[in-house]
Amino acid sequence: MFGLDYSWLADPAYQNWLVTGVINTLELAALSSSVAIFIGMLGALGLSLRVFWLDALIEFFVEVFRNTPPLLQMLFAYFTLSTLGLKTTDPVTGLEVPLLSAFACACISLSLFGGALAIEAFRSGLETMPKAITEAGRSLGYSRWARFWRIEVPIASRVCLPSLTNILTNLFKTTSQASVITVPELMYYAGQIYNDTFRTLEVMILILIIYVVLVSILSYGMSRLEAYLTLPGYGKGQ
Amino acid sequence: MTKFGKLAVSAVALASAVAANSAVADTLEDVIARDTLIVGVKNDYPPYGYLNDAGETVGFEVELAKYVAKELLGSPDKIELVPVVAANRIQFLEAGRVDVIFATLGVTDQRDEVIDFTVHYVSAAGPSVLMPEATTVNSWEQLEGQPICGIQGSYYNKKMTEEFGINLVNFKNQADAYRALKDNRCIGFVFDDMTLQKKLEEADWSEYKIAVAPYEFLPMAGGLREDDPAFAEAVNNAIVKAEGEGKLIEWETEFGMPHSDYIAKRAEAAAAQN
Repeated sequence: MFGLDYSWLADPAYQNWLVTGVINTLELAALSSSVAIFIGMLGALGLSLRVFWLDALIEFFVEVFRNTPPLLQMLFAYFTLSTLGLKTTDPVTGLEVPLLSAFACACISLSLFGGALAIEAFRSGLETMPKAITEAGRSLGYSRWARFWRIEVPIASRVCLPSLTNILTNLFKTTSQASVITVPELMYYAGQIYNDTFRTLEVMILILIIYVVLVSILSYGMSRLEAYLTLPGYGKGQ
Repeated sequence: MTKFGKLAVSAVALASAVAANSAVADTLEDVIARDTLIVGVKNDYPPYGYLNDAGETVGFEVELAKYVAKELLGSPDKIELVPVVAANRIQFLEAGRVDVIFATLGVTDQRDEVIDFTVHYVSAAGPSVLMPEATTVNSWEQLEGQPICGIQGSYYNKKMTEEFGINLVNFKNQADAYRALKDNRCIGFVFDDMTLQKKLEEADWSEYKIAVAPYEFLPMAGGLREDDPAFAEAVNNAIVKAEGEGKLIEWETEFGMPHSDYIAKRAEAAAAQN
């Protein structure tokens, strides 16, 4: 159809590569998204405590990891950290090897990048909280922790869900950069396949469709979650 | 013009571009009309094409390209050198951005399906493996399951993983791969033998060796667009003339390459023909 040639898809090696690529992409996305959300919650909690030095520390973290390209962070983690001393001795060969694998480096830098964005998202959610609500909680005798966990988080997380969806879809697509530090995800194999077969257009179209499907599933899930968690009278609950 | 009109015009333009592309091309006419030969060459691949200390692109294949320009247009300077890499050279050629590529292009069946080759002017060793001096590995079979650094897009990667069972760790460029080898992220680096041999001449690589020798020798040729007979003939004649004049042997000397039997034999045959 349209002169496109997909006969290379019959090659078991390429099928195998594509499946492995999708699995690695999903693993990387799932792991780094979870850690990013955790970092985001932790950071927003820290900011809500209003402790001067903690605020400064979290702001610094956000500025560093939000304002640097994730690609640079990955290359830094992959090539520089081992030079700075993050090394271990391989028990089999007795050689000094870097402590962090390529996958770990990609996962860490994506988590920190996503985490920095998530902190900002959660913070904006917490800040939209009407003061009257937290004051009501105080007057009912809720402790600081109980107010945060039982009142602020449930409301704030609903408010920031749309921006969290943006962050997670972006993070998903950013996993494609991990091919630069040899993480064998979808783009890594795609490049090899079109270099072998010269079916650049066909491979690109297929990879594009795979990404669209995967990211659509993610954003559909997030919008279902949003609908499920909606507050009566707000957003989709109107 | 209405929006629809513009759309229609661009659709027609696109369709005619596609049609022009599929018809028999005459690159020779274009080159003569333009009075410049546009050639895709490597600029990071000694001795075939690299940047010298003055920042000029030089090398064995660059000399060959200049010779072809001289034959076609009367002067070796009527040439535009476009740097290409393995991952984009075929695409550059197909898209019409260059007239011909002289860019360490090995002759393979898969490539032959999408482009045409010039006469084969070099027989280059395939990949070998660079490893630390201390290693006891000396065959491809011993590398099964081992992490070996490589380059993304290399033509032999599939053979490495599927046939030899090597756990390839592929980088985008050579610098990263060399660095990773020194960091022990992999136990060796599989790459084009000629380049690795050159690397070993550098002082920081004295503790390394070519542990596994190439499993094949591959003829190297220039790349041309398919169905372009007049241009192909002109380029081939120029290459054979250079061979007959012993130019390729001179360039081997000039760029510090070991003299190969393949080039010497081709020179003899070409000289006899002339």
